[in-house]
Amino acid sequence: MTGNNSGNINRRRLLQAGAVIGGAQLAAPYLQVARASDVVKIGMDNPLTGTYAALGKNEQIGAKYAVEQLNAKGGILGREVELLVEDSTSGDAGVAVQKARKLIDRDQVNFILGNINSSLAQAIANVANEKGVFNVDPGGHTDSITGKNCHWNTFRVCNTTATEGAAIANVLVKNMGKKFYYLVPDYSFGHTLAAGVENAAAKVGGIKVGEALTPLGTTDFSSYLIKAQAANPDVIIVLQQGDDGVNVLKQIVQFGLQKRFHIAGAQLELEVLLGLPPDARIGTWVFEWYYKQPNVPHVNEFVAAIRKRSGGHVPTARTYFGHTAVMTCALAAEQAKSLDAVKMAKAMQGFKLPPEISLMPDGAFYRAGQNQMIGDLYVGHAQSHGKDDPEDLFVVEHVVNGKDVSPTLAETECHMTWPKV
Amino acid sequence: MSGFDLRKQAPNAAVWLILLSMPLWIDAVGGYTQLGTQVVVMGLAAMSLNFLLGYTGVLSFGHAAYFGLGAYGVGMTIRYLVPSTGLGLLVGTGVGALAAAIIGPMIVRLRGVYFAMVTIAFAQVFYFIAFRWNSVTGGDDGLTNWTREPINFGFATLHIEKDPVTFYYFVLAIFAVAVALMALLLQSPFGRTLIAIRENERRTRFLGINVNFHIWMSWVISCTFMALSGSLYALLNNFVDPRTLYWTQSGVFVIMCVLGGMRSFWGPLVGAAIYVVLQDYLSSATPNWMSFIGLVFVVAVLFFPRGVLGIFRRKSTE
Repeated sequence: MTGNNSGNINRRRLLQAGAVIGGAQLAAPYLQVARASDVVKIGMDNPLTGTYAALGKNEQIGAKYAVEQLNAKGGILGREVELLVEDSTSGDAGVAVQKARKLIDRDQVNFILGNINSSLAQAIANVANEKGVFNVDPGGHTDSITGKNCHWNTFRVCNTTATEGAAIANVLVKNMGKKFYYLVPDYSFGHTLAAGVENAAAKVGGIKVGEALTPLGTTDFSSYLIKAQAANPDVIIVLQQGDDGVNVLKQIVQFGLQKRFHIAGAQLELEVLLGLPPDARIGTWVFEWYYKQPNVPHVNEFVAAIRKRSGGHVPTARTYFGHTAVMTCALAAEQAKSLDAVKMAKAMQGFKLPPEISLMPDGAFYRAGQNQMIGDLYVGHAQSHGKDDPEDLFVVEHVVNGKDVSPTLAETECHMTWPKV
Repeated sequence: MSGFDLRKQAPNAAVWLILLSMPLWIDAVGGYTQLGTQVVVMGLAAMSLNFLLGYTGVLSFGHAAYFGLGAYGVGMTIRYLVPSTGLGLLVGTGVGALAAAIIGPMIVRLRGVYFAMVTIAFAQVFYFIAFRWNSVTGGDDGLTNWTREPINFGFATLHIEKDPVTFYYFVLAIFAVAVALMALLLQSPFGRTLIAIRENERRTRFLGINVNFHIWMSWVISCTFMALSGSLYALLNNFVDPRTLYWTQSGVFVIMCVLGGMRSFWGPLVGAAIYVVLQDYLSSATPNWMSFIGLVFVVAVLFFPRGVLGIFRRKSTE
């Protein structure tokens, strides 16, 4: 079967090793030349399968539209832009890491985007940091990404969970009651989002009466709902997203819990409401962006353009995140007049996004020293049917300026170490 | 055992030539060094499983546990104890070997599907520990914030932390030692005994051989090399997550063995290469890549029941 004549193999191996080492010296310059291509590459390592598939596809639509807009105007620094998409799966961090390395090592991307799943986003951010590649996290919310584990090269478009929790906690305690029961997806996003709501609620007298941790991808929530019911809270806080969010809300309605308790959450996506039967479109939520903003400039153009590219569907917060993430890359390169990651990251410190990209009443900017985008949040309630548009399933009650509810830079515990030049 | 048989050595030479020259041509064929490293690591894992599956004839469906223990062993050593890659590898491999040695006596009396089921059960125990123990293992988020460290030999330092080619040869060197050890063990009387158990367990028992002890030995050796490959896998990604312990991962290792051919020494490496490369290419092309891998597996089982290498072997014996 194998080497019973080890002496020969060793000699052979030695010669081969010599040849390989010699060859590697010749091959190195060739590889360097191959890197300097004319295209600016943006790698997107995001879920296309699993519970976050629908969200991932919308981020992709937004990103593609942004690339199209950029190329129509001559690309980034006069070079054509190419978007490379890899499926990270919805929850397998190992695959996400492998794909990030593939995009960086093989495809030599200039920018890497990802991920919807907070755990995967953190894992990708760590790889990007190791490799020194400019990274934008479009939609993974957990605090640490622009908090304890922040990196000089990682920028985030969506809000932190602490900000989202703070945006809604006051409203809930004021209007619905003080006793909260939490249904928490069991990974970093859920843990920090629950903590965000809890901390903000505690400041205004809110009390936690219990919580259930549900693994990502849970389909049957009945045992958790029975526990929630038994705790007799004023509000059941639902923090599940994607398909998990659809399933838990459907089952809440089947149990009739919405008639006895208030249902609310710190974040919800339009994709989830669209996936629900009309009678399960319930609750009070935070949206991070909404397409009905009649008085905000450029929003209607954006909505019209996305409708053309998505078979008539409106953009969701996810479409917005994907678009803003790609535009962030382009703006960073234009500001720095370079594709050098350090120069680009420095140029984006405290950068205010132009209105045609921020698409929010108060605008948006990247906070210096944290690389976190701070914009508006939309608090409101779900509705079963849109009046003049079947996809208009959310009613915005308050627009909250992120500046007022975000934790301070010191509270985020972000300490960046920049590479020595 | 004597003399140099060119025909016998040709496959070995071909495998080593391909492995040693991998970084030279892998970019040209659309791959990348990282992928090559992954093939070698997964190849070692599949070959470790095959030590038990192919040569002792015992099917384990829980080898991911030892793969994952190795991975967490190296990750947690570097993260919490000492930033030393060498020590991490030792701890990772040691933890896997220890766990296998303790669990072994509880399962070696079982055979066939019962053995497989109990190995799954033990593996799931480790999976849930890693999944639930958030504060230590990072839970579902995985263990992050650690990276492989350069190895200091006293007289020289090997910088495996940045350059992928250096790391590839580092992994390949460990692979070579591990594979040579496995080959030596299989050539030894001990290895022959394992094959005897595979071929006819009752007859082996009648010869006065302690079958359960030999299966335990084979199990521990197999799991030790598995833990070693898990440690290398963690170093490759600078990352560990609970899915490396999950039972589907064990299934992937079995698929690799069957795909490549469990009766040949290099079969599992070939299987691992096919699986890893297919997964890499297909998952970029379509979100439904799993269906295609399933299809390839079904075709392989239906038409080449002895695996891809089985085709060549049959031809050479005819």
